[in-house]
Amino acid sequence: MDKVRNERITKQVERWDLFARTTPTLFLLTTLILILFDLVPLEYAFYIGLTGFAITAVTWWWWAIFTIRYLITVLSRASSNLSDVTKEMTKVKKELTELKDER
Amino acid sequence: MNDRLFKIVKAATNVASGLSMATLIILGVSYIGFQNAFVFNNAGISVTNNPVTGGQINFILEGNRRHECTLKRVHSDAYNDTTGEKFELDFARKIYIRSNDYLGSNTGVVDHQWAMPVPDGMRPGVYRISLYSEFDCVYLLFKKTKVQMFDNISLIIE
Repeated sequence: MDKVRNERITKQVERWDLFARTTPTLFLLTTLILILFDLVPLEYAFYIGLTGFAITAVTWWWWAIFTIRYLITVLSRASSNLSDVTKEMTKVKKELTELKDER
Repeated sequence: MNDRLFKIVKAATNVASGLSMATLIILGVSYIGFQNAFVFNNAGISVTNNPVTGGQINFILEGNRRHECTLKRVHSDAYNDTTGEKFELDFARKIYIRSNDYLGSNTGVVDHQWAMPVPDGMRPGVYRISLYSEFDCVYLLFKKTKVQMFDNISLIIE
């Protein structure tokens, strides 16, 4: 389950990366062309850009919150499991030492 | 795509994206500034030859201007303080006395003086003038129609 979810997060990060890399340039070029050819008034372009920016910011914010929460859960579970393993190892080490002393 | 080319494309898109984002932010902030700016700042209109004894009213507009604006439409009415009678001032008969910054040219300090004939039938008395002006303002690639009003311009006719 974790593996599937981890892969999904990796894919989402890649998509965000691609989005951040391409969207500003594409938007700037498209709006400049549309404004220069008088196909869209500047005011509309401004509000479209502002709306896009707001939607992106809110979506990213929630995605980041949920992803961080998931990562913290995974990290704390891993940490707890590691602690259990350490305890077990100490116990095994102690038992082995006792066994050695008996002989 | 080999690894080296991929790295170059990635770096190039990073730079292009960063520059585009900066351009968009600068343009957005400039647009908001332009949209909210008044045509004239710290400006006022007054009558310089009060009380008016001849047939001509002299006006002065002082202030400053940030953007280039062209006067599109202007309308002005004078209201008698006691009777409330309204007189329209005829801008078609306006004469420039002095203009160091003709509307539509440079921006900066505005010292603009003009004269207009006293409207027909205007009797002696105290008047309040209100002036409505409409401008087409331009800044970088932005263009907007702006309105500026001047009220309570005192006029005394003798």
